[in-house]
Amino acid sequence: MAERVSEPAATFHELTAEPRVEQIPLAHLSIELGHLYMEDFAAGPARLADQFARVAPWAAAANSSVVPQRVRSAGRTPRVSTCFLIDDYFTQFSSPAEVLPQLQAAASAHGLEIDYLARESACAEADGVPLARLVATRLTAMPAPETNGSRPTVLESGWLCNGQRSPHEQGHEAMGRRGGWAPPAEIGARNHSVFLDVELWHDKGGRRVYSCAFLAAVWQLLRLGMLRHEGANVVHPKTLTDGFPDRWEELPPVVKLRENAAPFCAYHSLSLLPGRFLATEHAVRVILDQIAPQPELLDQLVERSERDGLTVSPDLTDRVDYVLFNGF
Amino acid sequence: MLILGEIRTCVLQHSRALDRSTVAALLALVEGEPVRRSDRPVPHAVSPTRFTGVDCPLPTQKRCRGIGTIGARAVVTGGRVLQGSTRVRLERAEADRRLPWAHYLARPGVVQAIGKLTTADAVTGFLAASTPGASIDLGAVADRLVGSVQLSARLDHVTPLRAKRIRLRWSAELTAEAAAEGTAPACEFTVVDDTIRTLRLRLPAAAAEDVQGFCENLALHDWALSTLLTLVERSDLDSAGHAAFVRLRPAVDHLLHLWMPGAHVAPALLPLWEGLERQAGFTKQWSVNRDRIRDQLALHTLAAMRNS
Repeated sequence: MAERVSEPAATFHELTAEPRVEQIPLAHLSIELGHLYMEDFAAGPARLADQFARVAPWAAAANSSVVPQRVRSAGRTPRVSTCFLIDDYFTQFSSPAEVLPQLQAAASAHGLEIDYLARESACAEADGVPLARLVATRLTAMPAPETNGSRPTVLESGWLCNGQRSPHEQGHEAMGRRGGWAPPAEIGARNHSVFLDVELWHDKGGRRVYSCAFLAAVWQLLRLGMLRHEGANVVHPKTLTDGFPDRWEELPPVVKLRENAAPFCAYHSLSLLPGRFLATEHAVRVILDQIAPQPELLDQLVERSERDGLTVSPDLTDRVDYVLFNGF
Repeated sequence: MLILGEIRTCVLQHSRALDRSTVAALLALVEGEPVRRSDRPVPHAVSPTRFTGVDCPLPTQKRCRGIGTIGARAVVTGGRVLQGSTRVRLERAEADRRLPWAHYLARPGVVQAIGKLTTADAVTGFLAASTPGASIDLGAVADRLVGSVQLSARLDHVTPLRAKRIRLRWSAELTAEAAAEGTAPACEFTVVDDTIRTLRLRLPAAAAEDVQGFCENLALHDWALSTLLTLVERSDLDSAGHAAFVRLRPAVDHLLHLWMPGAHVAPALLPLWEGLERQAGFTKQWSVNRDRIRDQLALHTLAAMRNS
């Protein structure tokens, strides 16, 4: 007869009661080789060739930058993927079947390979998931000094800034205080302010139109693997088997172009962009600085990176790098 | 590690208990982040945590400036009772100035103190500060959360029973050293007045979220007991008339089935409940009053049958 078990260790779980965050594949570094707008394409193949000629040396330098080096010195092989973003949100031009082969050819002429291609409109919504809204809900405005929680945070609808707006603009004059103008102030400024107020979206004809800066912030969060919907992954790169479609809507949100590419999402992102993106990317930084990631996701990321030869900072803005170039 | 929190407990402004899906919709405070639900032994749902930034003095004797975020979540139990629950972990800042905001958002629910922060100073100051003034105001954040949930169009805004909103301010010192030094874990629960309670915990290492869960569970039961006692007091039980029956009915409809001390509390923290029961006899007092209500209802029914 079996021995009687005196006190079984009983456990009880309800899975709906436990937080779950899906693990996703991660590269060490995601390099963005560029953004393509209609005017770039309209300017002809020489413009594309010129852009890749400028990007190529920086892309080569990125492979020997500090992130891959650290991974190598931890005895591992760095996983680096490249990506490219195409605007189909503000203007739709030509067709994927016409544009994308030219783009690939221009890149490979300079020794570059594009691993992943993404549509900008996918940063607003991808596969039915409202990515831009997911990001908007995570905005946690930076508090001005002497903010103790007793008042609701001022989040002007559709705008986000890096400090305190000028009181003049907040209607103090209407309350009878004439001449009470004071300048806006950047929070954390060193001596002098660089105040930036960013338009995140506006509503037009019942439709919310997200700004380029806001979609670029979503793009960064996607690349950094920081978005989940109900705990599930939101990035599903697809391989095309029948060539590029004729309509942009038929193109998956993220297309995988190279079979053996490292994962799309990464611990670090590097964007190689023409200097005209400087203002937009400053705005992206102001937005990323005020995004509160899901706590379980942060814990998972840091813990994973340690096992992966790279201790990543949990600060979002520490994980985003740029090279902005003009003549180089 | 030092954790501070403040909880508001009140009844949902709705005539009936809410079903599971309505509760889940009510608590979907962060788009795309799941509401955590548990149906046993009593329905219990927890919203995702929202964060609010602060940069303000801490309630300490020695001047300390705290910068970081307060985490706030809403909890609904039995489709009936709503709690706004806030929590921060206080730690000393490494830098003596404010850092870029991303630094604080990478540490959700942590407030870093610039200045000479000591645990005893912070705990004493926080638990004593029923009106926080300019210093960190966890209660206001909890209040706003409760207010925003109560405004939901999913509720019919009918008050099902008269019950006060009760505030529990709590602190938890989690120290592995305390256990090693043989300092006994401590749990001091104080009823300050009709609507304010404080709880001071000293524990060996535990997960902050588990401690918050225990405090929510204690706040829920303290609220249920306080509400029941008020109902009994107001109902003039001894008269045993129809009026008393009418006044007690909300207790039967909305409260009596909610009593489950320790439900959804991490097993490691259950001894805290046992200690409180020994000292304060929550369940004893609850049972006595529950039985009185049931006896009176039975007598009332008998009398009604005899008269019919």
